Amino acid sequence: MSGVDLTTAVGALELSNPVLAASGTFGYGLDLVDLCPPESLGGVVTKGLSPRPRAGAPMPRIAETASGMLNAIGLENIGVEAFCREKLPELRARGAVVIVNVFGESPGDYLRVIERCEAEEGIHGYELNVSCPNVSSGGMEFGHDPILLQALTRSCREATARPLWVKLSPNAPDLAGTARAAVDGGADALALINTIRGMAIDPWARRPMLARTFGGLSGPAILPVALRMVFEVHRALPEVPLVGLGGIETGLDVVRFLLAGASAVQVGTATFRRPRAMLEILGELDDYCDRTGTERVRDLVGALEV
Amino acid sequence: MPRPVPGQFVMVESAGGGLPFWRRAFSVAGFGAGEESCWLDLMIREVGPGTAFWRGVPEGTGTRVLGPLGNGFPLEEPPRSVALVAGGIGLPPLLYAARELAGAGTRCDLFVGAATAEELIDPEGCARVAADTGGVLVPCTDDGTAGEAGLVTGAVERRLRDGAAWSELWACGPNPMLRAVAELGRAYGLPALLAMEERMACGLGVCLGCVVPTPDGGHLRVCTEGPVLRGDAVDWEAL
Ligand SMILES: Cc1cc2nc3c(=O)[nH]c(=O)nc-3n(C[C@H](O)[C@H](O)[C@H](O)COP(=O)(O)OP(=O)(O)OC[C@H]3O[C@@H](n4cnc5c(N)ncnc54)[C@H](O)[C@@H]3O)c2cc1C
Ligand SMILES: Cc1cc2nc3c(=O)[nH]c(=O)nc-3n(C[C@H](O)[C@H](O)[C@H](O)COP(=O)(O)O)c2cc1C
Ligand code: FES
Repeated sequence: MSGVDLTTAVGALELSNPVLAASGTFGYGLDLVDLCPPESLGGVVTKGLSPRPRAGAPMPRIAETASGMLNAIGLENIGVEAFCREKLPELRARGAVVIVNVFGESPGDYLRVIERCEAEEGIHGYELNVSCPNVSSGGMEFGHDPILLQALTRSCREATARPLWVKLSPNAPDLAGTARAAVDGGADALALINTIRGMAIDPWARRPMLARTFGGLSGPAILPVALRMVFEVHRALPEVPLVGLGGIETGLDVVRFLLAGASAVQVGTATFRRPRAMLEILGELDDYCDRTGTERVRDLVGALEV
Repeated sequence: MPRPVPGQFVMVESAGGGLPFWRRAFSVAGFGAGEESCWLDLMIREVGPGTAFWRGVPEGTGTRVLGPLGNGFPLEEPPRSVALVAGGIGLPPLLYAARELAGAGTRCDLFVGAATAEELIDPEGCARVAADTGGVLVPCTDDGTAGEAGLVTGAVERRLRDGAAWSELWACGPNPMLRAVAELGRAYGLPALLAMEERMACGLGVCLGCVVPTPDGGHLRVCTEGPVLRGDAVDWEAL
């Protein structure tokens, strides 16, 4: 490695490098330890955790698309208790930076996950997945309604002093409005984007490819959309730290997100095709900085010339 | 690459990382290692772009292969005798198993099912592999153009009814066939070990796309807890 300073910070959270594993694409951080050790990353965002284990959606759950894929996993997870008992000790021993991704069907679900995690060392922050229907308000997604979102963020904010990120949905009708609502609710940073709602059809069977009909699109197909959204939110809220994701496959993609205004990034679907993708991406980022005389990765953040 | 256990698979990149988007899963059909290199035998049936890619690729074309992945058949404690039941392109892992078992004293009777005589894969080679274990090849075709007419599981059942004394049933093929083997195992009190196939994005256990339902309402990942699963570990009604 060259002398490039890869460190960055998302608000008060200092990271050894800007590449984190995205929720739902890296298990609980320990599934690929031989290929991609979690402690070598800027951090790992866990699979979304709920108060109790969930079995998730029926099969088929995934479909391939041009330059991407759809998933309807249905938020299958082992539950917060099993995570704290079975996964967290090893993550802690390895010195990984751990962001717990939280979801629920009611504000109480989110709080229960956070309260259980507050009892543990070695959790560095929370990321709220707000692309879930709120059962008590007729199934409206938290992330689609600024009022719901602000209230949810506020109650989570009151439950923890740790860094609190809100992961924005690209499907929300008013991106800037929801971003502002999350910040007004007390979010330290915003992560964007979650998957884009889509569907796939098998023409021979004349049926949807997914059991749930709809799924979330991820992979390089969504990168331009994600980049535009990071740029827009950065322009609207320049003081708010952003974590960019959506379709990142290379070190140059990371540079693109940093220039658009993200302080760090997450890599998801790329890991499925190349389990060492995040390490390769870090190497490419280092190489880019070296070649362009960029001494510190943080100097790239928001440095887009327009 | 460590020596693959029969039933294990590899994830293979096609078209140099462009389309199709995912890698494709193929069972290991054979393996050999030299001093500095190793080779893998794969048998590929063309069904779409990721398999068609391999038709006519020039020799020496490079690709990325990840593996061996998954659990494989339990070869450390080989059964005394086993019926290997292959449907269509389910043959490769069973052929590899029979080759590996040849020295272990396990008799392998190989049942191979296909739609037509033309679709039977290398019957002479299969017969030889079975014979090397002291077993036989039983080809079956849906249309009766070769071997026994009808479903391959029918051929297995007829022999079980006549008192065939295998200690286990191992199978790989389409899900309805695997389910029929699981039911034979239950009816005759034999462990049924089934190499399953599901759509896979990662092959590594992190996408949760390849799961099959279990009787307790949970799931198993075919790529990591499998692909070889016991017949009674799967909820066939819910699959
Ligand atoms: C563990 C495992 C081992 C396998 N071993 C072999 C092997 O040794 N040889 C071989 O030829 N094939 C094997 N397969 C199946 C192979 O992976 C698929 O045929 C391949 O992914 C199809 O890719 P495609 O782009 O050609 O077709 P696609 O366009 O992806 O699909 C064409 C058709 O095949 C079906 N299909 C797609 N993926 C699978 C799958 N994973 N399993 C079953 N049907 C599928 C689709 O529903 C569709 O009807 C294995 C699959 C798994 C999961
Ligand atoms: C299989 C799969 C499962 C996912 N599960 C979650 C999840 O549990 N919680 C969440 O917030 N995002 C989840 N995501 C979304 C990703 O974290 C990420 O936002 C999205 O995939 C875009 O990034 P990518 O293109 O790099 O994959 C999942 C994505 C995939 C592909
Ligand atoms: S293929 Fe991704 S978990 Fe099995």
